[in-house]
Amino acid sequence: MSAINIADVSRTPRAGVKGAGAAAWLAALGLPVPDAPNTWLSIEGGLIARLGLAEFLVEGPASAKLAAPPAHGVYPVLRQDTALVAAGERLDELLAEICSVDFQALGPAAQPVVLTTMAGVTVVAIPAEESGMPALRLWCDSTWGAWFCQTLAEVAGELIQPIPTNHQGATS
Amino acid sequence: MKIMTCPVNGPRAISEFAYGGEIRSMPDPATCSDDEWADYVFNRNGSPGVKREWWCHLPSNTWFVAERDTARDVVLRTYLYEGEG
Amino acid sequence: MRLPAQPGEWIDRTTPLGFRFEGRDYTGFAGDTVASALAAAGVSMLGRSFKYHRPRGLLSAANHDVNAMMQWGGMPNLRADATPLAAGMDLEAVNTFGTLERDAGSMLGHLSRFLPVGFYYKAFHGKRLFPLWEKMFRAMTGLGKVDFSAPRQRTPKRYGFCDVLVVGGGTSGLAAALSAAEQGAQVALVDENARLGGSTQGASELVGKVLAHPRIRVFTDTYAAGYYADHWVPLVERERITKMRARAVVVAAGAFEQPAVFRNNDLPGVMLASGAARLIRRHAVQPAGRIVLLAANADAYQALADFIRAGIEVAAVVDLRGTLPSEQRALPAAHDIPLFAGHCILEALPSSDGRRVAGVKIAPLGQTQAIAELACDGVFMSVGWAPAAALLYQAGTKMRYDAGIEQFVPEKLPDGVFACGRVNGVHTFASRLLDGERAGSAAAAHCGLGGAKPIAVPTETDSPTHPWPIVPHPEGKNFIDFDEDLQLSDLENAIQEGFDNIELMKRYSTVGMGPSQGKHSNMNALRVLARATGATPGEVGTTTARPFFHPVPMSHLAGRGFTPERRTPMHALHEAAGAVWMPAGAWQRPEYYAIHGLTREACIEGEALAVRQGVGLIDVGTLGKLEIRGPQAAEFLERVYVSKYAGLKTGMTRYAVMCDEAGVVIDDGVIARLADDHFYFTTTTSGAAAVYRELSRWNTLWKMDCGIVNLTGAMAAMNLAGPKAKQVLTGLTDVDLSLPFLAVREGNVCGVPARLMRAGFVGEWGVEIHVPAEHGARVWQALMQAGQAHGIRPFGVEAQRLLRLEKGHIIIGQDTDGLTTPGEAGLDWAVKMDKPFFVGQRSLAIIASKPRPRQLVGFMLPADHAGPAPQECHLVIDNGDIAGRVTSIAWSPALQRHIGMAYVKPGMDAAGSTFAIRLSDKTLVSAEVAKTPFYDPDNLRQKEEA
Repeated sequence: MSAINIADVSRTPRAGVKGAGAAAWLAALGLPVPDAPNTWLSIEGGLIARLGLAEFLVEGPASAKLAAPPAHGVYPVLRQDTALVAAGERLDELLAEICSVDFQALGPAAQPVVLTTMAGVTVVAIPAEESGMPALRLWCDSTWGAWFCQTLAEVAGELIQPIPTNHQGATS
Repeated sequence: MKIMTCPVNGPRAISEFAYGGEIRSMPDPATCSDDEWADYVFNRNGSPGVKREWWCHLPSNTWFVAERDTARDVVLRTYLYEGEG
Repeated sequence: MRLPAQPGEWIDRTTPLGFRFEGRDYTGFAGDTVASALAAAGVSMLGRSFKYHRPRGLLSAANHDVNAMMQWGGMPNLRADATPLAAGMDLEAVNTFGTLERDAGSMLGHLSRFLPVGFYYKAFHGKRLFPLWEKMFRAMTGLGKVDFSAPRQRTPKRYGFCDVLVVGGGTSGLAAALSAAEQGAQVALVDENARLGGSTQGASELVGKVLAHPRIRVFTDTYAAGYYADHWVPLVERERITKMRARAVVVAAGAFEQPAVFRNNDLPGVMLASGAARLIRRHAVQPAGRIVLLAANADAYQALADFIRAGIEVAAVVDLRGTLPSEQRALPAAHDIPLFAGHCILEALPSSDGRRVAGVKIAPLGQTQAIAELACDGVFMSVGWAPAAALLYQAGTKMRYDAGIEQFVPEKLPDGVFACGRVNGVHTFASRLLDGERAGSAAAAHCGLGGAKPIAVPTETDSPTHPWPIVPHPEGKNFIDFDEDLQLSDLENAIQEGFDNIELMKRYSTVGMGPSQGKHSNMNALRVLARATGATPGEVGTTTARPFFHPVPMSHLAGRGFTPERRTPMHALHEAAGAVWMPAGAWQRPEYYAIHGLTREACIEGEALAVRQGVGLIDVGTLGKLEIRGPQAAEFLERVYVSKYAGLKTGMTRYAVMCDEAGVVIDDGVIARLADDHFYFTTTTSGAAAVYRELSRWNTLWKMDCGIVNLTGAMAAMNLAGPKAKQVLTGLTDVDLSLPFLAVREGNVCGVPARLMRAGFVGEWGVEIHVPAEHGARVWQALMQAGQAHGIRPFGVEAQRLLRLEKGHIIIGQDTDGLTTPGEAGLDWAVKMDKPFFVGQRSLAIIASKPRPRQLVGFMLPADHAGPAPQECHLVIDNGDIAGRVTSIAWSPALQRHIGMAYVKPGMDAAGSTFAIRLSDKTLVSAEVAKTPFYDPDNLRQKEEA
């Protein structure tokens, strides 16, 4: 496994919903609903993430359920994300260049969801583990996706093979 | 880089937020005088002190209230808006 | 001269490094600084002073020796005492005219009588000669040369996190770091030197413990550049900046040893005792053969021990204090070194070539007649300290002057900020250990880790700082600020001229404004001002210490720089079709599509013509797209837009104008009703994020029964327009294309769920097609394919602008500005004042009762207009006064003349009347007011049924 690996999983089916009635509606559809804001749960073939207070992202085959007609206080959110899985030994160094959130301090045990910006792009981030390596699920609006992926690759690339800088008398 | 604590998302760098101005109550536009209305639209309280302000956590589009002591640049507390007063 | 191996020396004698300085070759070792290598080689003159070009050498060896700055090729202003020696360096002193040895600028020293403090304010007034003076100043001032061909470098920054940040790896910093780590804190310890340990010996055991501790991260060769809100501290390392966020900060930054002020105290060989001691200990360099030690504290005698051990001959110890503790007296006595207590140095005497000190004249304090002349090639000074408190000041610490130790110390520290060691007024070694332990424990406790240990730190019994190490001299050249070449008389004159508070004196004299930012001059200057005005140093106060603590390379500050770019799903297709890109905010949009052999204007005209005569397709995916659902959705829209929507039929759209509370137009778009409780609406490209945010805020306040979703990035959108558009679309959609003008339909296009809106847009039959982003490219391609037979052309932003201008459609932010109300922009028809409430309503009612200040009108230039045409923002002139301005203008191929929009004074807006527009060259062009639309005034083409 390379020091940093970024995989594009945008094609995975997903759907979103928000509103005061969303949690109850999802439960009525038979989905487990994360209680606390900014947490997520595993479901078969995917996950359900509570984004902030009252918005949900469902990924995997279960997302098809969200095509059901919405109820009162339920507002469907069309998801067209660029979705990525970033993993590797040096993932933390990559994150340290693009994001001011301290992921180490989170503790993946609580299954946190982080809504923040990375490299200036709004993202949903979920820390995870992949084959014992630190990993991160990332979603961003697909109109930022191309630039975002390009930038991640650039930063990761430079980490692995630093561009020689002119150390000629660099002053402190 | 100042820290602002979103009531839903926790403490973050202030670059993740937008400031929405001091929370002010709108006089009844149907009954107030022109002067009262113009004062509401154009004038702001410039004196230092503790203010209740609108703030928005941009990545999550969460609007909330921050009580900020503008004289000392200290955010006293933040909470979701629950109505006037 | 190089000494034999010193315990714990920093140099690696197995790695010699050759380098060049001022054309001569030298050799040093890895671990040397440039200054230490030159000192080992016996080079004393390292540079020329800023104003007088006097020979200068090392003063502090602590990174504020501005007179020892060098240039290496394209790298300017390397500080010799802080720059590690590298093989192959080829260095020259900055600020010389000629060479360091033969500096033509040294004649300025003889002109010093004509260069008093602030002389540049008093001379050079004649305007005629000023260009000459300016050239002279530019040539003479400034340090180092910029190489404009140097490659641009950026070093990416990174974020860092810790519980306790300890700034300073000396005695108290090490103790603080260990103490905090022992209580469970994640500690980051920062020191600007290559190794931990600070300026004192005896810390090596501590250093070992710190390096071994799993919770302490050590950053050497790193300094904290400043303190920013909420414990945000940029750590400047050799390779990059780490933006460190701490939960508590311990400032253990130490203190700057201060120079004594006496005539010729700037001669090479006159230096701070701590600097000399550092050269001996770290680099095994003997800085001088025979010295006079100017003392006033215990530190002097500790340094004396180092000097004796290094084999330096000590001609005498001159102590400013009349009485000193017996254990201090004992040391010179034991080595038969004469001690002159209660004496001072009157002046240092230069060698015959003026390049080094050769002796000193001493006298009892207060007497002007020398009682002895002592030969020496070095004068080491240890008379006092000034706290390195910049970070404390920046954090908002209230400091007070402690007369017991003659130093400013923290009086009230902000939450989460702690101080220990010399910066905290604690100087004795054992006390510094205790103070560090106390501060580190308190910092950890502040982070919720353990309790703050109640450690009492004894106060200093003797002052480590002399309150007045300053000796006047009738012939001057007793320097206070070595960066700026300021003598004692300069400050006294400034004060006498009325610049008698600390802020004024600083700015008038420039004391403390040089590259070392007053590290060795501010305190003495403050003392001079205090004495002259009869105030205490505490009353005089200090000036603001601003970041950065040391100079920061531009490459580090630039960092990587993220400028995110937004692209529609059809981006690659546009690229393949020859799109010439233009930024629209963060988006990239095709300005036009380039065709080989055609000019930009010809391409744009061709695209516009294709739309008017055939069919064109444009990507409008950058528009904001919002969706609102719920029982109160219509009511909400009626509150935030100026028009009515409650009665809008399902399946129909309506133009939408949004005003702010002042009644100013801020956005426009189209609202489509998909169901009773379901609307889909657009905003301008640049307004999308702000509108969504503001609507969200309104609903947070109003809590209406509805919800808003931002689909701007989730939906692709394109507009197919032209007389042949319907034919192109036929067969690709299940939507009945006889849908009425302004209707909206949900259906399929190319097998993909879509929303179709029939709109005016560019003035031809057209539909706007919205599909989920993932299908955007496919639908675009299918439409282009189907349109081939009809000569379909993709068209870009410029053609769109032209086509819409021909229809008189306004662009928010171009034809409107920060004050435009609906009436001024011809949008009064959209405003429904009889609604119960909408944002801006009351303001518009007030505005309606006042005369309208201006009116936006359409205009045309004469068909036979020749010569340059007006541009946007050219002024409308009426009777010599400004009467308005042009907001949009373009050559219309359909009308074969220039058309545009302009603000004019009311009364000038009658159709057919003329007005004058002034070009940049002041000529006037005549324009005729025209009703809009210019093209197809009855809108038959966009409304037509096929």
